[in-house]
Amino acid sequence: MNVKFLNPFVSSAHDILSLEMHELVERGDLRLDHGSYQTDDVTVIISLVGAVDGTVFYSMSKEVAVGLASVLMGEKFDSLDRLAQSGVAELGNVITGQASMKLAEAGFESNISTPSLIIGKGATISTLEFPRLVVPLTTSIGSLTIHLALREGLQSNLKTPELEVPKVDFLQKGE
Amino acid sequence: MDAKLLNPFIQAAVEVLKAEVDTDVTRGEISMQKSSLTSDDITVLINLVGDVYGVVMYGMQKNTCLNLVSKIMGQEFTELNSLAQSGMAELGNVISGRATIRFSETGYKSNISTPTVLTGNGIEISTLDFPRIVVPLETQFGILTVHLALRTKNPGEPHNPDEFISLIKAPLSPKVS
Repeated sequence: MNVKFLNPFVSSAHDILSLEMHELVERGDLRLDHGSYQTDDVTVIISLVGAVDGTVFYSMSKEVAVGLASVLMGEKFDSLDRLAQSGVAELGNVITGQASMKLAEAGFESNISTPSLIIGKGATISTLEFPRLVVPLTTSIGSLTIHLALREGLQSNLKTPELEVPKVDFLQKGE
Repeated sequence: MDAKLLNPFIQAAVEVLKAEVDTDVTRGEISMQKSSLTSDDITVLINLVGDVYGVVMYGMQKNTCLNLVSKIMGQEFTELNSLAQSGMAELGNVISGRATIRFSETGYKSNISTPTVLTGNGIEISTLDFPRIVVPLETQFGILTVHLALRTKNPGEPHNPDEFISLIKAPLSPKVS
């Protein structure tokens, strides 16, 4: 995986979590993982399609998911109900959205998919031939791990049908 | 979810299964589900981005997957190793790709993501507020269940990631204190 795709995700996650939680977020040691990933309690999956292609996972324990949802949505959750689930998915969405804007600024425009949430420990998720860059982040609530299985979207065009992707200039949005 | 999104996937699945594994397909009863999906042994997950967007999942039992992959790849598979998973992912890729070509013929352009393969049954997969249309496709090799959680936007309208962000506002210029 191209390491230049890493920083936008780390800085977006850091900015958003720090802003929401009023504390600094620590980054743990990076590692590159070629095998498949054994799920934690909660995993948010979002794909990128475009000049950057692949999948991003955000994985965490149930306690961290409930804690993050409580902080982000400003109400106390006791369990991972539907609303808390959508809070966690939105967090993945916001981080990925901001990272994709930063990637677009660097010349890699891509679109992000809607999030899917996987709940349940011990399943195996494979990104096939994409190795994953694993980034643990530590907050006072607990740790959140980002998995990036991304590459430049050149080869994948061979696999996907030859269709035009609507170009979006994120910088001009809202004008 | 709009039912017009359903037929391209069913047609694509029928054609691809016929071409790849030479099997006739019988469509089971279609249902609409709002709760999260409880995974089968193997689930291939592919996202769509564009005028048609959302997620498509192909779920099946281990034996069905092994039968299909053995037939496609022309070699006997007895376990869900990475090659078998990759074969199954490719099948999902081809069906989804073909369906998006049909969408583009009706003016809806979209692109598919790389596939993700989830193994392990009994795990919940939630598409959040997207209801799913569930279509079981019966073949001689077993049942392939297609789950579609898709929406459309007007053709040509820009893809806006913020569209889904309703609960949390992303800070435009983050301030870290």
